[in-house]
Amino acid sequence: MKWLALLLGVGLSAQVVASDIINAKQLLTDMSSAIQERNFDASFVVVKGKGMEPYRWLHGKVEDSELEILSRQNGAGLEVVRVDNKVTYFEPQTQPYSIETDAIAGPIPEILFGEIGSLSNSYDFVLGGKERIADRAAQLVRLVSKDEHKYNYWLWIDIQSALLLKAAYVTQQGEVLEQLQLTHISVTEQPAQPLIELSSKDFPMPLASLAETENTQKLQNNWRIGWLPEGFKLLKSDRHKLDLNNELADYFLFSDGLVEFSVFVQRPLSGQRASGALSSGATTVYVHNSGAFDVSVVGKIPTMTAKAIAESVTRPL
Amino acid sequence: MTQSNFNVKDGQVTSSIFDAEQALDNASQAQFDADKFARYALIGDAMRSQQNQAPCIDITASMADALADEVTYGEQAPQQEPQKVRQEDNVVALSNWRKPLAQVAIAASVSLVAVLGVSNYAPQEQANGDFPVLQSTPVTGSVSPVSLSSEPALESAEKGLRELQQQRIGALVLEHQRQSRMAHALAQQAQEEKEEQEK
Repeated sequence: MKWLALLLGVGLSAQVVASDIINAKQLLTDMSSAIQERNFDASFVVVKGKGMEPYRWLHGKVEDSELEILSRQNGAGLEVVRVDNKVTYFEPQTQPYSIETDAIAGPIPEILFGEIGSLSNSYDFVLGGKERIADRAAQLVRLVSKDEHKYNYWLWIDIQSALLLKAAYVTQQGEVLEQLQLTHISVTEQPAQPLIELSSKDFPMPLASLAETENTQKLQNNWRIGWLPEGFKLLKSDRHKLDLNNELADYFLFSDGLVEFSVFVQRPLSGQRASGALSSGATTVYVHNSGAFDVSVVGKIPTMTAKAIAESVTRPL
Repeated sequence: MTQSNFNVKDGQVTSSIFDAEQALDNASQAQFDADKFARYALIGDAMRSQQNQAPCIDITASMADALADEVTYGEQAPQQEPQKVRQEDNVVALSNWRKPLAQVAIAASVSLVAVLGVSNYAPQEQANGDFPVLQSTPVTGSVSPVSLSSEPALESAEKGLRELQQQRIGALVLEHQRQSRMAHALAQQAQEEKEEQEK
């Protein structure tokens, strides 16, 4: 009898786990389609430590085209406009430019608007509890990193409308580093007026080719990056000048689908400087002084991971 | 009306003098609030951790004064205590074996006074108004130096980092922000190419 009970118990718990995965994944898929289908006007804040950035987010469908506006409400500002597969960034001190892609790269990882299944190699989808967020019933879904080299990402999804209500980067120890919280959302039948006006406007042509733009050179195996956290792939490598200080850098961009990090190899600055890390919210900047060159790693990854990547960069033999 | 206007202005002037936004001349000195200035300086030093010693504010004298002026709590306490003391005296005089019992009784009465004292004290404290809450250690928390928000990292990075390095870090953060905008498109592009090759 005991054996039977044990078997039954194991069988039941396995079934529960399996349905959990389906549900968590299903919720995320529902969220992604809700964000793409509905007309909504939302406000949210991004809280990084003591800093706070308010945003407004409009989305709608006018005739057959999908329209979206994301704007930062404080400071110098940022406005991102999407018309179907063309995303245009308006920022101070830079000419507006467009990128051909189907999602705005803002505080919300783009993968959440698309095919989240590709994340299952690096993250587990775990269903959490129910909570009240922004005065709505929300279901917590956790993206749990399969190793300790990445942060976890938690999402709270509106049970009724499947829209995103809250999201946070959480360390392996459960400490919240950076969170995004909706303060208001209204889902409407008709798209908001600013969106309707968008469809009659012209935007810059998308950058011709993403991999090669002006002033960049293809990088010929200049550096060997000895260690990468599991699941990250190289998306881009080149040599170009940085916008702000016109310094030349060998550049690598890596992504695991959810987060990206950049590796810069540069001429060392004069003087003895120790290697070290800075952080703001989930973003880490690790600067490693290896003597003959400086390696900097920037991204939403733990400091120890950034340090290990930076220190693994060597010249090829 | 004019009084309140004056006060507000006064505070502003002190603050702007302190921030070096206004020169310290005769006109501004007239509205100079020395106490406030000293307080601001102390706050500034504490925030910058330049104060080697924690600010030490001696409140023992004022506490002693306040206690001296304090009304004795409740009428019962003074009445009860002499009785108890008298009882104890009697007990000691009569016999030694009752001493422990008497001690228990005293202990009980003392605790009763203490309870009375506490319950009396709470409303009195409220009536007295605000006891200053001292926070001698400045709440600085961890340093989060790079401003990723509006003016990407043009603001100061960690204390002690050279300006050049600050500038570089700012440039790196901005560049990462810009480049990662393309990440999604690049990933999709790579995916499509891979699928085409497989066909």
